[in-house]
Amino acid sequence: MRKPPRTPAQEIIAHADSSLLEIIDLVLNKGVTLQGEVILGVAGVDLIYLRLNALLCAADKVLPPGGRK
Amino acid sequence: MIGLYAVVIGAPRGALGARGEPVRIIIRGGLEAVCGEPPPPLSPEALRAHEAAVRRIADEAQACLPARFGASAANENDLLQALGAREQELLAALELVRGREQMNMRVHGAAAAPAPAGGPGTRYLEGRRRATRLPELDPLRSSLSAVVRAERVEPHEEAGLIASVYHLIDRGASADYRRAVENAALEGVRLSLSGPWPPWSFAPELSP
Repeated sequence: MRKPPRTPAQEIIAHADSSLLEIIDLVLNKGVTLQGEVILGVAGVDLIYLRLNALLCAADKVLPPGGRK
Repeated sequence: MIGLYAVVIGAPRGALGARGEPVRIIIRGGLEAVCGEPPPPLSPEALRAHEAAVRRIADEAQACLPARFGASAANENDLLQALGAREQELLAALELVRGREQMNMRVHGAAAAPAPAGGPGTRYLEGRRRATRLPELDPLRSSLSAVVRAERVEPHEEAGLIASVYHLIDRGASADYRRAVENAALEGVRLSLSGPWPPWSFAPELSP
């Protein structure tokens, strides 16, 4: 069965190192509406708690509707 | 559209934004909003650049409330209005973080089971109380009391990670903080630290 393609946010998280995970936690945590919550383990790196939808929503929030180029 | 990096007291002159652009300071009462280009699309590089820009601003400002990635306003008027509506709250938050920075502590381990006394409601409330108070850290708190100015606990419910704890410390005190944490003998939990960071976790939400 084919997996659905990953979103840009999931790609970022999947490849994040520990310093980027810390940055994501600080820079995006509670940034906007929260819904889903995920825990991620990156090989050899401590588990860090992330709110995936915060990441997704923040991405959506970057440009207003209709404002995308 | 205007991108927002931080709300500060004592904004640095000539600071650069995430994409190397000179920042613009928009003033409302005692608040100085450090602004730049509209936020770029989300990417790891954009996140790192935003963090780095906020760090440059925070290092130079007397007090800094970082704005999360993507924070923006349609125009200067909207931003002034948003700041004006929350001036007292933001000024109070700025006073708390003045001259300070933040350390992140991840608390790993298995959460201690609450005492099985009382009914399900009591047990639930006791569990909630423990999750936000984190009594496992009490021995550490006494040795950190000289360094830590404020604490925020974000409980997690996942196996292995009990909580994230954010500590506000005086700028330059991170070595003392790390020493105190390393010397603490805690049972049943393991801590990992990062920092110092600008005081991200002590900033009210700045996004509109």
